[in-house]
Amino acid sequence: MNARHSLGRSFRGLVENDLDIMPLMNLFVALIPMLLISAVFLNVTVIEMNAPPEGMADDQEQKAVEPLHLAVTIREDFFVIEGNKLDKSVIDRRDDDPESALAAALAAVVAAHPGNRDVMIISEARTRYDEIITVMDVSRAAGLPSASLLGAE
Amino acid sequence: MARRRRKNRRKDGTTAPLRLTSMMDILTVLLLFLLKSFVVEGEVITPVPGVDLPESSSDAAPQASVVVAIFDNTVMLDGQMVTRLENGSSDDGLLIAPLADRLNQTRAKELEIAQLRGEDVDYSPKIAIQGDRDISFEVLERVMYTCNQSGFGDIALAVIGAS
Repeated sequence: MNARHSLGRSFRGLVENDLDIMPLMNLFVALIPMLLISAVFLNVTVIEMNAPPEGMADDQEQKAVEPLHLAVTIREDFFVIEGNKLDKSVIDRRDDDPESALAAALAAVVAAHPGNRDVMIISEARTRYDEIITVMDVSRAAGLPSASLLGAE
Repeated sequence: MARRRRKNRRKDGTTAPLRLTSMMDILTVLLLFLLKSFVVEGEVITPVPGVDLPESSSDAAPQASVVVAIFDNTVMLDGQMVTRLENGSSDDGLLIAPLADRLNQTRAKELEIAQLRGEDVDYSPKIAIQGDRDISFEVLERVMYTCNQSGFGDIALAVIGAS
């Protein structure tokens, strides 16, 4: 206490110093642009693919076997839904909002065959990748999460 | 103004230093946010420049895998160009020979690493395809077929997920 008293005058004479944060600032200024450059702001996700059922690549027309083998064919102007024990249905892509019509048709199939989770998406050679992904999304939303891709003859 | 200037001056006449505390707070929060974006669940896939990925409602997280990118009939493997497909077709049928060679090399290398780690029993080669939204199914089919033939049966299609 006495010692403090004796130093009192010299304490009063000292200038209060802030913490020197300039080196830390320099570090941050270098780090942040580097992280901003390498940061990924796009949410990239994936769609898992399945191999098509055995033999289906060769005889897509043969629908007499037991499983449903639900298939959505993407034609230039139509979506065609077909499968075993299913009436073939055709959706005109030139209509307004053909994806909703496809979703409704697939939802009806899922309601009629609740055990089926698979769908084959058959595309023509010139079908755009974007269209295939759209049909996969519609199928997944309709309750068919397991999609496989096939090429049309 | 004069009053404010006078306020910033200390009694002894020296000017007050710039207060950086609030700026430091912002930078700290920003730094933490950016570091957090690297520690997300699962693997982060960076879209290959030039590839315009299609949008999808899928929210499945990607896994660590080999990445094949396709755009303008160009096929790239892990950021390196492999081949350019002419009109999307060839005499070899569906197989893309240069891609198959590179995939076989990659698989052999991955298998070797898995063996060194003692994980070769669980090793299943995975591949993610980053396809431009405008590529045709013809090209996609050939790439998928080649991947399958090279032992990469676990295929995932990379898309821009709903955010």
